[in-house]
Amino acid sequence: MDNTSKKQELFRAGLVIFFLLAILTVGEFLIGAIAVGWAAPLFGIALLKAALIVRDYMHLPRLFAGEEESHE
Amino acid sequence: MTTETNLAASYRFRTHTNRIGLWLFILSDAFVFGGLLVARFYLYPGQRPELDQMVGLLVTAILLVSSFFMNRAETAMAHGDQKNFLRGTLITIVLGIIFLVGVVGVEWRIAHFRPWDSAMGSLFYVMTGFHAFHVLTGVIFLGIIYRNGRRGLYSAERHFPVEAAAVYWHFVDVVWVFFYPALYLMGRVI
Repeated sequence: MDNTSKKQELFRAGLVIFFLLAILTVGEFLIGAIAVGWAAPLFGIALLKAALIVRDYMHLPRLFAGEEESHE
Repeated sequence: MTTETNLAASYRFRTHTNRIGLWLFILSDAFVFGGLLVARFYLYPGQRPELDQMVGLLVTAILLVSSFFMNRAETAMAHGDQKNFLRGTLITIVLGIIFLVGVVGVEWRIAHFRPWDSAMGSLFYVMTGFHAFHVLTGVIFLGIIYRNGRRGLYSAERHFPVEAAAVYWHFVDVVWVFFYPALYLMGRVI
């Protein structure tokens, strides 16, 4: 795969994560508005959103990759 | 091995070491925010302050969009795309400033309580203030990489400062991911 196609693929992956985060945010807003005492689902959504950001935007797996492949 | 290969290997090694340092810093910072979150739920379980829901949702959305553009900027730089890097970084900076105005300039102004009114008041202003301070330092950090990027100091092979700024910015977003429901959504309004 050439450099441009790889970049485009990563751009698309970033967009997919963004849409997932947006859907989850709207979901938690609605849960917060409808059900007052539902702290557990809201915390679950927050954990899921954080996991997506840490894995796909912060690239945590890079930390555990070797020196050679960590730049991918 | 040529000198160029040696230099590239040395840069990769330093990047790997710097990355460990960066994540240790992020982890230590996360404990401070975690402490604030624990204090909020310990003092006011099942309750929350009265805040403007639309402002909360709007600033959350702004930070989310900024993370998307920061990821785009970092990906662009990792592939030597200077133009998209600069554009993405600039948009992130602007969105970061809008977030700051939304929290400090709007939410703080319209809130029905002050830091000295109650423990919840103190917690709200400390949590949002400390987070806003991180956003501010993130904006400054992004400003520095934007200026350096314009000078052509980064390349596809050498751009660790861009990665560090991006990771820091996303961390600030992760913190808000927990602060937003804790302050705006969980519990009954006091």
